[in-house]
Amino acid sequence: MGQIVSIHSFRGGTGKSNVIANLAAQIALADKRVGVVDSDIQSPGIHVLFGLDETNTGNTLNDFLHGHCTIREVAYSIGDSTGQRAQLAGKHLWLFPSSIRGREISQILREGFDINLLNTGLQTLMKEFDLDYLFIDTHPGLNEETLLSIAISDLLIVILRPDNQDFQGTAVTVDVARSLDVPNLQLMVNKAVPGYDYDDLKEQIEGAYRAPLTGILPLNFELAKNASKDLFSLSAPGHPWSQELRKVTEAILSVQ
Amino acid sequence: MGQKTITQLKSIIWFDGLPDDMLAVLAQKAHKRKLSKGEILFNKGDRGDSLFVILSGWVKIVTQDINNNEVILNKVGTGEIIGEMALLDHEPRSAGVVALEKTSALELNREDFMEIMKGQPDLALSLIRNLSSRLRHNTSYIEKITEMSRRVAKGDYSFIGETQPVKTSEKKGREQEKIGQLMAEFTAMVQDVRQREEELKKQVQKLTLQIDEKKRKRAFEDITNSDFYAQLKDQAKNLREQRMDNK
Repeated sequence: MGQIVSIHSFRGGTGKSNVIANLAAQIALADKRVGVVDSDIQSPGIHVLFGLDETNTGNTLNDFLHGHCTIREVAYSIGDSTGQRAQLAGKHLWLFPSSIRGREISQILREGFDINLLNTGLQTLMKEFDLDYLFIDTHPGLNEETLLSIAISDLLIVILRPDNQDFQGTAVTVDVARSLDVPNLQLMVNKAVPGYDYDDLKEQIEGAYRAPLTGILPLNFELAKNASKDLFSLSAPGHPWSQELRKVTEAILSVQ
Repeated sequence: MGQKTITQLKSIIWFDGLPDDMLAVLAQKAHKRKLSKGEILFNKGDRGDSLFVILSGWVKIVTQDINNNEVILNKVGTGEIIGEMALLDHEPRSAGVVALEKTSALELNREDFMEIMKGQPDLALSLIRNLSSRLRHNTSYIEKITEMSRRVAKGDYSFIGETQPVKTSEKKGREQEKIGQLMAEFTAMVQDVRQREEELKKQVQKLTLQIDEKKRKRAFEDITNSDFYAQLKDQAKNLREQRMDNK
């Protein structure tokens, strides 16, 4: 059985989607079978990084949650796509996107959905795609579907920016994860602005949350300029951001 | 021109190792030039059809900036050669030369130089050998500096201690001196850069991680005090047990 890895941040704007897409790509490059679920139904974003838009998106998680299709029919194989992502050709990487159509987003927010169905779907696709890793991109904050993702995960990675609001929010997420008996907890910093003593901060973070800090990714203007058009760690593997990201990848791969 | 000139020629790196009879041919073909202080030997842009060996005194190599002000590129003294490149590559003079004091030089024009070379293949060979050894020497330092630059870019300063002083041959040419100077400047620069970097590291601010424990507790309770949460906790427990069984 593979591992469910939920990636969470307490507030938006931590660069979570970019981190997940790149982590998933790096792990797929290590010849693992990887799935990425965009469970951020309210504000989906990860699809762009894998080259999906309204014109080439077929079934979505919304269709599955409304009972219109099976979870298998939501899968979009990244290994078959072209362009910058060609490095992933032949690798086993699937995206399970959320709908990016405004009408469908408002419908699911209005009507809600059966959280158990989401759970069943996730468990099914783990089995059917024989996944080594299933990454769940969660909505910021701690709503019901996010709590479910945390509850069922084997590894929770919390992304935080080095500021007090994120320190506070992360503390709550960590408490909830411990209360839900999540077996593995890791932390990573993104958007680290230069000029601070990060060795010292790492010590403080690991002490306060009693969990390993596996990477400190610098604030990356090139990534921002890239406007989510491709996978940065593939196009700029030597960049410090990509180097730190690979440390996080290593930490994920080392979890038993 | 007799034995004195031959002795003077011997001290020049270009003619290093040449037998006396060959140096005698050179000395015979060369013309002596005497310059008083401030006298121009040649101007920038002149046809370069001879080389000069400074026998005594000092000259400055000059060019002009855009406002026609004189810029001194270098100062050259006894035993050194100027204009040798123009002799080989037929380009106009890249800079002018003016005597800084009373100076005496030997001038050897291209025709004579080439004729001697034709008649003396050993001289030509010796010159080529000299040129290529200078080139090899310089290239090895370019490689060294390239490698160092690469390491500095990565923040690796470990080579500073292991950097060896520039090996200097007994008869040091102008370029070797310049290369030595470049190495010294480069090493000094790297040391300065490292020092500045270390100063900066000391200046980095410490961030203090602050958590309001009351707010933390309240937020945790808000989330966990619900039927949904209690259900989820049970569900998650069952699910984990199931999955453990499957493993």
